[in-house]
Amino acid sequence: MARKITLWVAILLLLLIGLAPVISMFAKSLFVAGELSLGNYETLFQSEREWILLSNSFLLAGSVTFITLLLGVPLGTLFSKTDLPFKKIFIILFVIPLIIPSYILATAWFYFLGRSGIVAQILGANVGIFTSRFLFGFSGVLFVMVSTLLPIVIILVMTYLRMVNPKLEEAAKLSATWPVVLREISIPIIIPGICLAGLIVFILTLGEIGVPSSLRFDVFPVESFIQFSAFYNFNAATAAAIPLGVITLIILIIERLFLRKKVFQFRVTKDPMIIIPLGEKKPLFFAAVATLAFIIAIIPLCVLLIKSLSISAYHEALTRSIDSIFRSLLYAAIGATCLTVLGFFLGYLLERKAFRFTYAVDSIAILLFALPGTVIGIGLISLWNTRATNMIYASVAIIIFGYIAQYTALGERIMAATFSQIPRSMEEAAQIVGVGWFRRLFGILIPLAKRGIASIWLVGFIFCLRDLGITMMVYPPAHDTLPVRIFTLMANSPEEVIAALCMILILITLLPLSALSLIIKNKRQKI
Amino acid sequence: MIVKMDHIFKSYDKIPAVNGISLHIEKGERVVILGPSGCGKTTLLRMIAGFVSPDKGTIEIDGLVVAKNGRSLVEPENRKIGMVFQDLALWPHKSVHGNLEFGLRAKKIPKNERNKRIDEMLVKTQMIPFKNNFPGELSGGQQQRIALARALIMEPKILLMDEPLSNLDIDLNLLLRKEVLELQEELGITMLYVTHDRDEAFSLATRVVVMQHGNIQKIGNADEVTKFLSELPVNKKT
Ligand SMILES: Nc1ncnc2c1ncn2[C@@H]1O[C@H](COP(=O)(O)OP(=O)(O)OP(=O)(O)O)[C@@H](O)[C@H]1O
Ligand SMILES: [Mg+2]
Repeated sequence: MARKITLWVAILLLLLIGLAPVISMFAKSLFVAGELSLGNYETLFQSEREWILLSNSFLLAGSVTFITLLLGVPLGTLFSKTDLPFKKIFIILFVIPLIIPSYILATAWFYFLGRSGIVAQILGANVGIFTSRFLFGFSGVLFVMVSTLLPIVIILVMTYLRMVNPKLEEAAKLSATWPVVLREISIPIIIPGICLAGLIVFILTLGEIGVPSSLRFDVFPVESFIQFSAFYNFNAATAAAIPLGVITLIILIIERLFLRKKVFQFRVTKDPMIIIPLGEKKPLFFAAVATLAFIIAIIPLCVLLIKSLSISAYHEALTRSIDSIFRSLLYAAIGATCLTVLGFFLGYLLERKAFRFTYAVDSIAILLFALPGTVIGIGLISLWNTRATNMIYASVAIIIFGYIAQYTALGERIMAATFSQIPRSMEEAAQIVGVGWFRRLFGILIPLAKRGIASIWLVGFIFCLRDLGITMMVYPPAHDTLPVRIFTLMANSPEEVIAALCMILILITLLPLSALSLIIKNKRQKI
Repeated sequence: MIVKMDHIFKSYDKIPAVNGISLHIEKGERVVILGPSGCGKTTLLRMIAGFVSPDKGTIEIDGLVVAKNGRSLVEPENRKIGMVFQDLALWPHKSVHGNLEFGLRAKKIPKNERNKRIDEMLVKTQMIPFKNNFPGELSGGQQQRIALARALIMEPKILLMDEPLSNLDIDLNLLLRKEVLELQEELGITMLYVTHDRDEAFSLATRVVVMQHGNIQKIGNADEVTKFLSELPVNKKT
């Protein structure tokens, strides 16, 4: 009974904090001046501009997906299946752009390729005009988004390849060379994983506002943000947010219907995976991967580092934003803690299939994760911006609600994976001798799951810390976080101060990341 | 002489898995390696196939030195070897036809010859009706036949089988043993078969190799090996 109540509370929290805002927003958008009407949508779709924005969004998301898959599948394969030297360092380098807010990456590239950027200073103003033309617009956004989202494909491809039964590859290797084996056996078997990666990249690109707005490529989500922040036209903002929500929903339904069925039976084998010797081609592959890592990770990091390389810049950066640095850390810590608690119970629910509608809860969490931050942000405002709930709307709670709404799926899935490693019998053994739910919880489940719990907390911390989409929509006055502060300071602050702020943000994100990699490493050694 | 192994050693983390084995296999023989779990049977097969290179010793296949002095000289795909794995390792995303076709295509065999050979092989294994099915749609015994067909269609110099029947119930095990024997005799193929089941070993082998702790303890025909095993000081189950 106690167990049931706890799980119900977790579900209700997810529904109230995550789903209710989205539904409320949708419901309100159907009313104009108190009457049921499609007026908001009519205005939206009458303007030609919206259609252009929508097609821009799809063009961008499609191109980013295509290119990340094109690069990410071979890279993931090289990292997981071959004897490429310095693999671990490369993986870390490729992952860095994902964990820092993407618009910071865009800023770094602006300092490098902009009209008066580093390249222009070295090679002359004409080159600067050329590079800045590349950067501002479709090509630049495409480039920055690819470097941000590439690690998602790399990591998923690596994970799925590791799950393929090595005997399948050996059986093929008896008559074919490695390139043929990879092309015809290994890669086709992990197609569900590749599709999943493509889907995530597509959805994340569709909802992105930071990079397109800093590199001035007009896309759909920016529209609802502008309607809201520049014109205070809440109805228009809502109407502009809904199509994104609907598109996301359609994509997820397609995934549930088609991709799920295609999942092959993976065997978790103890057989060691075969590592393919690259042989004579090793230097070639190494050079290619190193070049890419240099372009994608090292250049932007170095640009920020060089730009910010003065004590006065850091001093100025700290005086301007020390308050928001502390707020960022505090809010991310609160957010991560909430995500951990909620993720713990929802993950338990998902893994143990405690209720019949477990999968519905999971689908809601996934939908919320996939929705663009702006959509959730507008939903939260539409639900909580009333006199009665001003307590929440005008406080940090609204930001935390946003984190919970968007990132619960992460915690839920990590915990579900953790619980799948803990045999049900351990809990049942205690239950049989009459140990109650809370005793079991604190005496058995939490101690056994502590690695998973630590992982969600850190992952949650990183995601809350880098969040821009939701926070920027909902933060009450004097509650801005560091990413928001940087975003607002960007227009009228010296470049070295912005660069210093970016470096500070990167450093505080790298701390939990290194803690996380330590946890993962220890886990491997234990097995 | 199809396979010649001389003084083969292989250790994992300084613990020997195969400890100085020499074994010669003649054309058309059915050699069965019999031994308890962990004695190094799979390691030995994987060295012949080329997935593991021996630390020491020489392996020759059909007159070609494929591994010597701790180095693998010939890639698995160029060793002309067929293998049936314990868990079969049928490719789940390819149909029965696709599973049989893969190796032939990799060896650049023209399409009409490929189809001819596939059909012949499916007739031999009575699997023609399942040509377009996927492995997941077949029963255990049918999957076993496809795994065997996939190995044989490449016309290997030697067929390696690593406990291919150990996951089957006893009736199916007996039936497939018979089929393996029939196919082997029809094609005159050389076979190296690994098992820990004495009965299976004696019913299939022209020669039985008893292995223990990475060493060969006895080589002989069924009668000789039965005698050897019964005379062991402690008649442990192998
Ligand atoms: N890749 C590996 N890494 C480390 N040790 C290994 C590896 N492969 C085999 N071994 C060890 O080598 C020894 C022989 O293993 P092998 O798989 O050849 O035995 P086997 O006779 O096939 O056993 P079974 O009947 O259980 O299949 C075992 O002690 C095993 O633990
Ligand atoms: Mg074995």
